[in-house]
Amino acid sequence: MCDACGCDLKPEESHDAKVIEVHQSLLAANTAMAAKNRAHIEAMGAVAINMISSPGSGKTTLLEKTIEALGDSLRIGVIEGDIETERDAERIRAKGVPVIQLTTGGACHLDAAQIHKGLHLLAREDGGDRLDILFIENVGNLVCPATFDLGEHHRMVMVSVPEGPDKPAKYPKAFHSSQLFVISKTDLLPYFDFSVDAAKAEALQLNPAIEVMDLSATSGEGFGQWLDHVRDLCSRG
Amino acid sequence: MHEMSLVQGLLVQLGELAGEHGKEKVITVTMEIGPLSGVVIDSFEFAFDALAGESVLTRDAKLIVESPPPLYRCCGCGKEIRADRRPHSCPLCKETLITTEGSDDLLLLRVEME
Repeated sequence: MCDACGCDLKPEESHDAKVIEVHQSLLAANTAMAAKNRAHIEAMGAVAINMISSPGSGKTTLLEKTIEALGDSLRIGVIEGDIETERDAERIRAKGVPVIQLTTGGACHLDAAQIHKGLHLLAREDGGDRLDILFIENVGNLVCPATFDLGEHHRMVMVSVPEGPDKPAKYPKAFHSSQLFVISKTDLLPYFDFSVDAAKAEALQLNPAIEVMDLSATSGEGFGQWLDHVRDLCSRG
Repeated sequence: MHEMSLVQGLLVQLGELAGEHGKEKVITVTMEIGPLSGVVIDSFEFAFDALAGESVLTRDAKLIVESPPPLYRCCGCGKEIRADRRPHSCPLCKETLITTEGSDDLLLLRVEME
């Protein structure tokens, strides 16, 4: 007899309950869309870099300086992600490259569906459909963006000197899933208790394969290795 | 709080499964949340409680979360180590470079419906 309502059904039949084995990733839909984005980006002739870091660590400034240095030799495009405002896109547009701004309206990360939309919007911009490299500046956040594949070929995580060297240990997913770790604002090292070696060691312990570089977009120190890295990605693509 | 959007995706998937199997009510949902998935289980449960109540299908659904400890692998000798926390060094060869294997996915394991 059924325990719940006292009916005559056998327990296995009661309430017509059924257990369905699913074993499917919640991220499956995002991953499938990311694969389409990757093919779309490759069809544009480009490789894509997903830039993940905290707000204010210098993603937009790094992009501005990169466009100044490489804009004549590479076709660069940018997708900007922010919760609100067009401000980052306006800064990039001023450098003369195709850019679109995605505003997430509160969401703390970009996902593959937003990038799909972004790629179509970017194609309407002058030169936005043929690129060598596409930079995707994610929403400033070291946590949530790490979970979502956008269809990028290369993921970088950046930490600026004022944030402190303990970020790899505190935000492991971002460092696990990235191929490049950039320490930015090294011109501020004299004013902060930040050990570049300690930050590198923490990142390498989490992800022995991660490439690490430190630079200052303001002073230009270490910037050459970053530009080489970008050129190298484009030639591999 | 990307847990909110992940739960929204889960609820869409539950709706599709119910449609496929001709069911009207979800009784239990069993998820595996990898400890390296970057998802906070408390936040996921909070989001589920908040959002599941909005539809008749999931109003009384119970969420069960499994989170097996991550699997680590020594870069020196290849030994696999299952532990809650990252071991400082390999118990066999003392190598300190240790990588992880998986443990970063979010799996909908099974759903009980009627």
